[in-house]
Amino acid sequence: MLGEFEYLLLTAAARLGEDAYGAAMRQEIEDATGRGCSIGALYTTLDRLEAKGFVKTWMGDPTPQRGGRPKRMVRVTAKGIQAASEFYAAVTRVSRGVSWEANRAGVGP
Amino acid sequence: MTRTCWWLVDRVSRMLEPSEQDAVRGDLAESGESGGQALRGVLGLVVRRQAALWKDWRPWVVLVGVMVPLGMALSIVSNLTAGVSATYLWLYANNWDWALLRHAEFWYELRDSIAFIFMRCLPLVCWSWTAGFVLGSKSRRIVPVYGILFCLVLVFGVLLGAPRYLAYFFQYANRPLSPNQNDPIFALAFYREIFPLIVQAVLVAVPSVWGMRQGVEVGRLSPLVRIVLWIAAIGTLTMLVIQGPGFVFFLHAYWLQRISQGWQMRLLQIVVYWPVAYLAASAILRRWHGRIPTVGVDSL
Repeated sequence: MLGEFEYLLLTAAARLGEDAYGAAMRQEIEDATGRGCSIGALYTTLDRLEAKGFVKTWMGDPTPQRGGRPKRMVRVTAKGIQAASEFYAAVTRVSRGVSWEANRAGVGP
Repeated sequence: MTRTCWWLVDRVSRMLEPSEQDAVRGDLAESGESGGQALRGVLGLVVRRQAALWKDWRPWVVLVGVMVPLGMALSIVSNLTAGVSATYLWLYANNWDWALLRHAEFWYELRDSIAFIFMRCLPLVCWSWTAGFVLGSKSRRIVPVYGILFCLVLVFGVLLGAPRYLAYFFQYANRPLSPNQNDPIFALAFYREIFPLIVQAVLVAVPSVWGMRQGVEVGRLSPLVRIVLWIAAIGTLTMLVIQGPGFVFFLHAYWLQRISQGWQMRLLQIVVYWPVAYLAASAILRRWHGRIPTVGVDSL
């Protein structure tokens, strides 16, 4: 079973497709969640996902806007797609019949 | 401030693998983060990486089985060296008279003193360098943490006193009835407290860290050279342990005499200086060929 942040990373990588690499994925996650994504969390989680066989990473070509430094490119593997689908299905199942909007309205000030 | 932060980012990111270092620096450049944010991010990554390394059992074995004993042994020898050196330093610095310069005997005595102190300090430097070399050869990624921990062990050894096992008892049992002739020197706080710290820093900590940096490169050398270096390192560290006060106390006098008079000991006394030969050979070959691996390929 994936962790929440692992799922976020897989989703960001899948959404970016061929353009998935560290900085772009951080931006994607920060835009989606509204929270900061530390570079430490990003790279250590990427390593974990790679060790599990959920993503494949490799060093891309250097670009001038990065000071001539290469990107660490990311691609979601078939196993990663399977794991993310299962996670999403589990979240959907467990959320069935629960309305957070209604609860928030009831609990809020 | 920003420039300092980016300089720190550069220094800290060197603790990462070279490929990851490039990717991270590129990401930071692209995302346009401030120096402070970038430093926080890189520090976080380095801490996570180092913490992951310490989940393995091997660094702990090196810490407990190699680093702490070597650090303590070096602390003891460093303290002894500081004690001997302090006597000579006091003799010249605290009793200085310009008129001495006019006497030829003074220069002979000074030359002999310098030679004596040098021959006491050089083995300590070589032992420290070798200890660092051995630690550095273990893992490139963990070396910065090893360096910090080793310095902490040394500080612990010199401030709180490295354990000399029964040597204290031995000294107590054989203590002189009359006051020690060097007591006036060590009544001065500088020679008692500060000087040992300086000796520890200059003759142990600096060479150890230097040795670690050199040890990191050992993986590039040919297997044959690595074996030779390991034999030299083991011989050097054996010599460090054998001549330590704690070990000497446990040895039966008969065996101690046999060991100290054997050809093996005389050989070990020469092997101790192997870092000097290694560094000289590396420097010469680097100048000739412009790269370190030639030490392993061309020299043997």
